[in-house]
Amino acid sequence: MNARVIPLLSNGEAGAMNAPDLVHPGAGAAPAKAPARPLLEFAQVGFGYNGAEVMKNVSFSIQEGEFVALLGPSGCGKTTILNIIAGFLAPIEGGALLENREIAGPGPDRGVVFQAGALFEWMTVADNITFSLRCAGRPKKERRQVAEEMAALVGLSGRENAYPYELSGGMRQRVGLARALAAKPKILLMDEPFSALDVQTREVLQEEILHIRDLTRCTVVFVTHSIDEAVFLGDRIFLLKDLRNGAFDEYRVELPSPRANAENRLHAAFIKLREVIYRKMRH
Amino acid sequence: MNDNSNRLARRRYLALSIVSPVLILGIWIMVTAQGAAPAIILPSPSVVVSSFVDMFWRGYSGVPIGTHIAASLWRVGTAFIIGALLGIAVGLIRGRVSAVDALFIVPSEIIRPIPPLGLIPLFILWFGIGELSKILLILLSVFLIMMVNAQAGTRGSGLDQLRAAQSMGANRWQTFLYVVLPSALPQIMTGLRIAMGTALTILVAAELLGGDRGLGFVILDASSFFRTPYVLAGIIIIGMIGLISDRGIALLSRRIVHWEGKR
Repeated sequence: MNARVIPLLSNGEAGAMNAPDLVHPGAGAAPAKAPARPLLEFAQVGFGYNGAEVMKNVSFSIQEGEFVALLGPSGCGKTTILNIIAGFLAPIEGGALLENREIAGPGPDRGVVFQAGALFEWMTVADNITFSLRCAGRPKKERRQVAEEMAALVGLSGRENAYPYELSGGMRQRVGLARALAAKPKILLMDEPFSALDVQTREVLQEEILHIRDLTRCTVVFVTHSIDEAVFLGDRIFLLKDLRNGAFDEYRVELPSPRANAENRLHAAFIKLREVIYRKMRH
Repeated sequence: MNDNSNRLARRRYLALSIVSPVLILGIWIMVTAQGAAPAIILPSPSVVVSSFVDMFWRGYSGVPIGTHIAASLWRVGTAFIIGALLGIAVGLIRGRVSAVDALFIVPSEIIRPIPPLGLIPLFILWFGIGELSKILLILLSVFLIMMVNAQAGTRGSGLDQLRAAQSMGANRWQTFLYVVLPSALPQIMTGLRIAMGTALTILVAAELLGGDRGLGFVILDASSFFRTPYVLAGIIIIGMIGLISDRGIALLSRRIVHWEGKR
């Protein structure tokens, strides 16, 4: 399935190959064994807008529990991939499969966290968080309970009755995250959710998303243009340059567990992989 | 601290908003005191005030002033509420269902540029010179304004918000109710203020077409007997109704659309 994925060691980045023990291509923390059925699968997916091709023959698969970072400059098609998984866009070629079934439109089994939040400004934090339950007709009592649980999970306890416009940028993204998680999705799709935040807030949220991921064992696809973010968060990184020929590079991240540890930012493997990807992006 | 400065800012706003009416009143007093204009063209404020007092005690043309005001308010109120509800409903549906929009686009855009006053002769022919004509004339104007505003409001929700709703399992109706409608509210509230102003304008014109009740009637009747102070008194009452209703809707708007402009 991964015929077009270029393994790290085959691309001959001389300077970057000095410490291969720190960066193991194809041998990482992926929880699934080889024969396991993938949660998500792209098979020769092609997409374009008004005749202009954006991607062609893109294939990959993501196992349950994995954290995959889609890394690349703006316009490379990483958000398009996310939108296809979310069901906002439909491939014009090939197939996008979730648990072996063709993705047909958006649904609560895939939670989306948007770059600008896309919060419902007219609803309280609690109503934002429990929107999926409201749409599913769940009773008020259950919604209140889930709102409290989710608010606690993302560190928003006590702010359930606030309105989004009363919150800081970081807290707004926490609401967006809690809202997506409340639907208990099989996969969490995050579209540069921290890119508009200041560095300190971003780092705190990066650590928290890893922590939340450990608690919920949620599968995550995370779009970012930041190498640091991709290396810190991802189990695997897809480095996208130009998807029109379907090719992208894949890196497996080897950092000590638990991943939700700020110290990992100083780990030799972190620094090494960051350098490898940096050189590759500039290449 | 913040509350305090807020209160100060509000007082400042209030004080400044009183400046212009006081200024106009001052100029009015000066012009009439100088005898620059004959009383029949521009009577002095004191004469207008005494005609006010006269109207309140003795009514106008044998009818208490309260009855005139009530007649006008009833016409404008009925037409405003029905016209606004219909206009909002049609506008929202047009914004969401393109087939409905296509059905409405030609007639609504042909009728919209016609000045309502130009329709008066037709309305008299069709609905007579009674209440129905007056109310329908106002209703039509309110309807058209609210339809356009509500339809424009349906585009107030961002693509991401609509996608977010769908990805959380919202069906078409839930997306409309919880996302499209609230996003349209700011524009709808602005539309209501515009529509109320227009409704009062049409009211006076509609009341000119006949009958013996209403503020429009008072103004028309007084002017045909050159009782200029009563004309001005009637105009001021209508203006006051306009001011109060506008402030009322604006206040309501800030309550309902509390999130507007906060981000």
